[in-house]
Amino acid sequence: MYWVSVVTEAGIFAILALGLDVIWGWSGDFDLAFYGYLALGSYLTFVLTIGKPKPPVEYILGYHLPVVLAIVLAMVVVVGLAAIIGAIALRNLRDIYFAVTTLGAVSALYLLVENYTPLFDGYNGVYGLINPGQTALNLTYNGYRIAFLVVVLVLLFLAYLLVQRLSRSPFGRMLRSVREDERASAAYGRRVFGAKYRAYLFGAALAGLTGGLFAIFISAFNPSAWTPQELLVIYAAILVGGRGNPRGVILGVFVVYIGFIELTRYLPSPASRPDFGPAMRQILIGLMIILMLRFRPEGLFRERPGLDRYPIENGAPIPASQRPAAPPGLRSEERGTSERATREGGASKAGRRRAGKTERAGG
Amino acid sequence: MTTFLVTIGIGLSTAAILSLSAVAFTLEYAVSRVANFAHGEFLTIGAYVAYSGQAIFHQNVAAAAVIAAAAGAAAGMALNFGLIEQFRGRSAITVFIATLGVALIVENVLVIIYGAANVTYSFGQGKLHHIGPFLWTTSDIEVIISALAVAGLIYLLLQRTRFGKAVRAISQDRALAQVSGIPARRIIMQTWALAGAVAGFAGFVLADTFGTFGPTLGFSFLLLTITATVAGGLGRPYATLGGALIVGLAIQIAGTYTSSAYQLVFAFLLLVLLMLFRPNGVFVRRSTVAVRA
Amino acid sequence: MSTALLEIEDLTKSFGGVHAVRNCTFSVPEGQVTGLIGPNGAGKSTVVDLVSGFGRPDSGRVTFAGEPIIGKRPDVISRLGLIRTFQTPREWRHLTVMDNVLLARRRFADESLWRSITRARRIRRAEEAERAAVRDILDRFQLAGLKNELAVRLSGGQKRLLEFARMAAAEARLIILDEPMGGVNPVLGARIGEAVRQFAAEGRTVVVVEHNLPFIEKTCHQVVVMDLGEVIAQGPFSGLRDTPRVVDAYLGMDQSHE
Repeated sequence: MYWVSVVTEAGIFAILALGLDVIWGWSGDFDLAFYGYLALGSYLTFVLTIGKPKPPVEYILGYHLPVVLAIVLAMVVVVGLAAIIGAIALRNLRDIYFAVTTLGAVSALYLLVENYTPLFDGYNGVYGLINPGQTALNLTYNGYRIAFLVVVLVLLFLAYLLVQRLSRSPFGRMLRSVREDERASAAYGRRVFGAKYRAYLFGAALAGLTGGLFAIFISAFNPSAWTPQELLVIYAAILVGGRGNPRGVILGVFVVYIGFIELTRYLPSPASRPDFGPAMRQILIGLMIILMLRFRPEGLFRERPGLDRYPIENGAPIPASQRPAAPPGLRSEERGTSERATREGGASKAGRRRAGKTERAGG
Repeated sequence: MTTFLVTIGIGLSTAAILSLSAVAFTLEYAVSRVANFAHGEFLTIGAYVAYSGQAIFHQNVAAAAVIAAAAGAAAGMALNFGLIEQFRGRSAITVFIATLGVALIVENVLVIIYGAANVTYSFGQGKLHHIGPFLWTTSDIEVIISALAVAGLIYLLLQRTRFGKAVRAISQDRALAQVSGIPARRIIMQTWALAGAVAGFAGFVLADTFGTFGPTLGFSFLLLTITATVAGGLGRPYATLGGALIVGLAIQIAGTYTSSAYQLVFAFLLLVLLMLFRPNGVFVRRSTVAVRA
Repeated sequence: MSTALLEIEDLTKSFGGVHAVRNCTFSVPEGQVTGLIGPNGAGKSTVVDLVSGFGRPDSGRVTFAGEPIIGKRPDVISRLGLIRTFQTPREWRHLTVMDNVLLARRRFADESLWRSITRARRIRRAEEAERAAVRDILDRFQLAGLKNELAVRLSGGQKRLLEFARMAAAEARLIILDEPMGGVNPVLGARIGEAVRQFAAEGRTVVVVEHNLPFIEKTCHQVVVMDLGEVIAQGPFSGLRDTPRVVDAYLGMDQSHE
């Protein structure tokens, strides 16, 4: 059951990382407010499902909505918050200025939540969402946890499909071009702010979703979760796996969470120093960030722009007799040139491995 | 009226510490074009080393201040050598993220050495003094005087010495400075030592003001430092002093009229506003060009 | 006499105390190639920046296809059909050559996030047609073999060709080339000249900012000469040789740049 827990948590963070990667990997914005969106998503999911607060506990709202509806509503509010922060920070600020501004905004919100108890009960945080629907579905505690794991993995898979499709779409390509060179993109008619803003809201939506999942998973949430330290672990995971590569990002999360954090759990903590284990983990995360940035900033799996593989099937060029009719505008001599080029392109390992799987060139 | 002036009094001593931290931060940016997010750790290191030094120096505040500064200087040089130089030529945001990693490491190393719980100084605060309309403890006065002294020292260094001239040249154009015969690497290292020393001292002073502190001391002060630096203008030491004054006073004043817990909220909102409208500092006419690092 | 596609009137811009552009006035006839020449510091690049939206003039009017475009954002002006290059080739470095040219096709509607999710299939089909057209263009500029290469790996000359491929893909009404011959060898230069003539043959309007006077002579129908921020002469290239002001401005400058 321990591993069920570990994989569930990794799965949730993988969805989170996919969202963050859209903002950082594709759009190039180092956002330090991102964890705040998860936190808000979590908080809202709680206060929409656990009913009225019993004094001295206090928080806003306090309904008994079905958890799925609560999560959807939480996502909407989170996107609303991101709309405000994004409108402020993304219009004219980039890089460090953008990062610091988002940090300032989220820190202000963090302090507000921590001190203004009527909101989410201040320092104490909210708790009490324990396995929603467990009795309705007639499951044991463990049975529920396993079912929840399945739900998380399914959601992760769906998120992956969506993100992967977007990555290869004109939108993904356009977003990356904005990241690469904003001036050139503007010169070719792209609305730089609009593109980044949409990416930002999309990422925040995923963060809101993960917040809801997290609420179910750990049944409690408090202000310390808003800190940038937690966010750095996700960034480390994206760095390790591969910025801009959805598959890499998911892998990075599993490597960092399962491989790394869980294995370091077995580090001996001397009795006199109970903080040793957690502190050591943070130190290793910090080291990982620095080393990856220094020696392999693109990550284990590079961002792979979609290769043009026409006309290729199963890694080998199609013989002329069996090739589908060439699209209009492509004269036969030029087709020969393109063929040769794609044969070279397709001969690369990447082309052959992926050929026949997701996309196929040609109608 | 007295409350307001007393507030300004307290605000001045906060501003004094802030100005030290901010000047150091801005010096680091000036010579290396790096927004050093591990800067807060220089303060924390200074505070903790002074804490350890209590065992040797007991109540000697001056000695504690000196070793805090020394530790900060060592930390500054170590960071420059171990990280900044390693990331030469990389984009500013990459180095920034790397310094975040360093901050994470240093903070947790301190947790391992000293524990995560707060520690306490045993230096006294001193008596209260009425100076005009202001109400200060001996500590407050020492803080303000030392801040002014350090600020004055930095001014002299930057304006009157060859070192200062070299620093200013490098901060404008490193390549040009090197071509003019300035030993850039050495000067930069010395600047980091200086900045680290000032930050370490500021950390000690800050911790002394609170009495108790933990491993997150410097990092929590970092956003305030950045706010003050941005208010003054990144890379401009004198304007930064002004910026620190403005920020320090602003949050103290805000703190008296709302509860002190929301002081920092106010400060961070101030940071956001500055970034939006005056990213190049309050003292500069608003730039029409978008700010890109 | 073709109508003016781009009209510039009294354009003025100073930086600090320096007048980069001063009362600059000229018009660009549609369907022809117009050169914009002048010694360094004449203000040519500033004019290009102001016209394309990368900077706000202090005063003056710019009309494109009858519409005033002063103060509009670069992306807005671009969508109206005005595309420009930069003095150093600005390709999207970590995208492939194919992606670079595809992006120049400017199918903005398909780049909507919402539509990418809801109309994915239709977008993918449209994408196939686009790719075919782009392969055509890449062949034209001999870049087909490099289509899956990251743009950053291209040589300088190939990057120039990529720029032209993007121009060709953009199908713009007005193309402004900012020093396209910078650091270009004669073989590449001939190809560039060919590309410019092709644009004109397609009915597009081209403005070429250049120092390379033989190139200007060969490709331009008329030339605008600037010096110290002002327009000092306009007309066919042959007439300029004898205009005293132009000769003065170029005094001491080598007239052939290879």
